[in-house]
Amino acid sequence: MSEASKRVFPIWFTLVVTMVFIAITSVVYTMTKEKIQLNERVRLMKSVLVAAGVEMPAEPAEIEKVFTGRVKDVKNDSGGVSYYVIYEEDGSTVSSYVLVRMGAGLWGTITATVGLSRDLGVFAGMEVIDQNETPGLGGRISEQWFKEQFRGKEGPMVTVPEGSPAGEKNQFQAITGATYSTNAIKNLMNGASEYGRQIIEKQ
Amino acid sequence: MAKSKLGKVFSDDLGKNNPVFAQILGICSTLAVTNVLRNTVIMCAGLVFTTALSNYTVSLMRKYIPTRTRMMIETMIIAVYVIIVDIVLRAYLPDVSRELGPYVGLIITNCIVMGRTEAYALQNPPWLSFVDGIASGIGYSYVLIAIAVVREVLGSGAIWGIKILGSGWTNWSILAMAPGGFFMLAIFIWIVKGRGAKEEEVKAK
Repeated sequence: MSEASKRVFPIWFTLVVTMVFIAITSVVYTMTKEKIQLNERVRLMKSVLVAAGVEMPAEPAEIEKVFTGRVKDVKNDSGGVSYYVIYEEDGSTVSSYVLVRMGAGLWGTITATVGLSRDLGVFAGMEVIDQNETPGLGGRISEQWFKEQFRGKEGPMVTVPEGSPAGEKNQFQAITGATYSTNAIKNLMNGASEYGRQIIEKQ
Repeated sequence: MAKSKLGKVFSDDLGKNNPVFAQILGICSTLAVTNVLRNTVIMCAGLVFTTALSNYTVSLMRKYIPTRTRMMIETMIIAVYVIIVDIVLRAYLPDVSRELGPYVGLIITNCIVMGRTEAYALQNPPWLSFVDGIASGIGYSYVLIAIAVVREVLGSGAIWGIKILGSGWTNWSILAMAPGGFFMLAIFIWIVKGRGAKEEEVKAK
């Protein structure tokens, strides 16, 4: 190798190696792209249905069918989804409403779907879509028992200590050691209830 | 000959040359993921996979990689494997992928991967580098798992998310948070090094 080509060699080598590896990554990405998009769509559908308290089939394709059959989204002025209307199985009677709500958690934004009954007074359920709380502490807001306890409750919610009975219509169990995350969920639920009254009753 | 070399790779990476408590590498993830055992195990699996494969790939190319751009190329190889892990998880195990969140991406910045490709794969044949990657990964894993078990049991009264300590147990919340990671790692290193020091004393006598 001449002096000049010795100097240029690293550049060429790096360039070629980079292109090869980017090509490999692109192929893997393209191959899985549709599946990933489907997963993400199904996940939102699942969260909406769980919050509405609708029974869920296991297969992603089936979930999509239930969703398109029973859920209608209502757009807001800027074209985004304002809230979802869930119909009974007959497809015409309104069974509940679902809102996608965001609130400030300890480390980042908590996104959740909140289901409200037809008269907007009772929580139909909730599902956490996204959260970055401390695993083992605030992260437990994603645990089943915590999410399920809102079903059938009436806001505004207040907390009782973890492990104590939450018998009243407006009580739910807090998570020990995660007061901030618990309050974030409390505010998110109460906010959803209020917001639901504002926007859905207007229609 | 080959066998003893292999044995040496393992005993080095698991013991006196352990990436975590001897080389003090990969500390960031040791602190970040060890509060819950489940996350720790998945992180470890990801790290074993990435270290082994990037070691193998770098070693295959070691005779051609120009010295001056070698770090860029190593980083890229590591990144490619990590991205592939991430994409595959998102496509086929969406629930696991969501649970891990940013942790998978963080493997790229784990110093152990880069450290092993630099220190080992560049000088050794592919299959031996592959084994070194796995051995380093295991060396990292058992330290993390040990720390995670203590942190999850004392910090959340649970193991793998299942409650094992009754309601009478008050969680040591500090252990589930970042400082707990520092304490546990320091105690671990203290115990291991303390034992090592005693062995040296015995040898010296």
